[in-house]
Amino acid sequence: MPDPCKRPAGEIVCLEDLSFRYSQALSEALRGIRASFEKGSVVGITGPAGAGKSTLLSCINGVIPHYSRGDLKGRVLLKGRDVSSLSFGELAPIVGTVFQDPDFQTVSITVEEEVAFGPENLGIEPHEIENRILRVLESTRITPLRNRAISTLSGGQKQRVAIASVLSMLPELLLLDEPTSELDPIGTREVFDAIFRLNREHGMTILVVSQKVEHLVDCDRLLVMSEGAIRLDGSPREVFLHQEELEAIGVSVPEVTAFMIALSKEAEYPLPPEKLPLTVDEAEAALSAFFREWKHLP
Amino acid sequence: MKVVIEIQSLYYTYPSGVEALRGIDVTVHEKEFVAVMGQNGSGKTTFVKHLNGLLKPSKGRVTVRGKDTSKRRVSELARDVGYVFQNPDHQIFCDTVEAEVSFGPRNLGLQKREISERVDEALHAVGLLEYKGVNPKQLSKGQRQRVAVASVLSMKPSILIVDEPTTGQDYRDGIEMLELIKELNQTGHTILFITHDMQLIARYADRVIVFHEGKILLNKATREVFSETEILRRTFLAPPSISLLAQRFTSLYPGTVLTVEEMLEQTLAMIRRKPRPL
Repeated sequence: MPDPCKRPAGEIVCLEDLSFRYSQALSEALRGIRASFEKGSVVGITGPAGAGKSTLLSCINGVIPHYSRGDLKGRVLLKGRDVSSLSFGELAPIVGTVFQDPDFQTVSITVEEEVAFGPENLGIEPHEIENRILRVLESTRITPLRNRAISTLSGGQKQRVAIASVLSMLPELLLLDEPTSELDPIGTREVFDAIFRLNREHGMTILVVSQKVEHLVDCDRLLVMSEGAIRLDGSPREVFLHQEELEAIGVSVPEVTAFMIALSKEAEYPLPPEKLPLTVDEAEAALSAFFREWKHLP
Repeated sequence: MKVVIEIQSLYYTYPSGVEALRGIDVTVHEKEFVAVMGQNGSGKTTFVKHLNGLLKPSKGRVTVRGKDTSKRRVSELARDVGYVFQNPDHQIFCDTVEAEVSFGPRNLGLQKREISERVDEALHAVGLLEYKGVNPKQLSKGQRQRVAVASVLSMKPSILIVDEPTTGQDYRDGIEMLELIKELNQTGHTILFITHDMQLIARYADRVIVFHEGKILLNKATREVFSETEILRRTFLAPPSISLLAQRFTSLYPGTVLTVEEMLEQTLAMIRRKPRPL
């Protein structure tokens, strides 16, 4: 196996045999993770509760070892530098994190103050801050909430404020931990659309942890974690082919994908891996092809 | 079927001036399994908080088991309506699972023996009987959610409100939680559950109430609601993707398909094959 960390330039994060055990925990939350993430890519991370997904993000943004105590083995390199040697001040312009629970990260009274807080602390010009506020409020669909007190917002609205307040810092690397757990389906779609837009327009590298597999199908790469290790790693299409293994781990596959896999099995209809549908559009094409070949249909 | 909840032209305005509910009429029958959905901020949570008296109507009437909630105390309503919060950590506060689950019945002033029977029964129902002495903090989120359910069950409410029971849970915990709620429904509990998870609604709910800007937009059988793709889209909701796929082939799948299993069964029927048992 080639050393994952000897990849050409363009690598933004490298995990070198990373293990971590929280102090007082009996077992390791991460067990020997080796992976390298390319600059400008969108990487989805999924897996059951307790798989180590949030811990992995904490190792990349420096919360481990700077804030959470425990036994850390191996190294995390961020743009080639060891995270444990970087201060939060050095980390802030590089890596931004949207946490699972929005109440955990909001610090201001109003939405506007919250979104301006990060760029102000980075010393950005007021004019540019205003530009960014307009843009991120728009892309997270909370423009009408600009002057509202955060305490009066619903869970889903707070989640979008949390995302907007990190986006306004335009970090090179954006980590999102279940950023849409409280959002309605279209709100979720919009957040993911915003994530992919940031990636396209700013080349922002994105690592997103989510249980909503249907929204991870557009990622460049998908990691499936279980019990502190990476169990599957590949393009979403490659990963979702392993339906049985995924179900054993406790991860679902998109409904339309599960349907076509089951249909191909039951009807003994060959479905080449590269034709595995992940979206409704792809499934429509695959099912049309199926019906065309099944001649005695009406 | 007996009516257990009756709501007539309910209006609610928060002290901040936000009009959260603007004329709601709902009837719920005994043993129904009702899903409540709507985009963030549509009034779902404000609505259910009227059922256990946490909020009282600004205008209109809410009747639970024949009694007007504005004339009853929250502690009294707690015997009829159990509320499982979205985040179990917002409701769990005791050091052991047993203390947590016995908290409600102790406050009812019940005899020791009755309390311990109720605790065992509730923990048995959620599959946590052997965790009695454990600190809830040491449990997984899915397990803590079960403790939260047990602490509500020990009050023996006939109506259970479950607010976003699967938020932050993985797929397997989510299914397990809904299976538990389904069992409780089958043993006689009336269920109202709030969720954004269309797949779970499709799989478990008899009826769906869709909230939009403080009003009820749809209130029908689950299958009928998911055939209203256009109306749902306007409220930022969407049917499960398997339903959307079936809708692309309306001549082949004339009704509304709700689950992968239904879609498979209908497709195999078309090619004159019976599905093998799973």
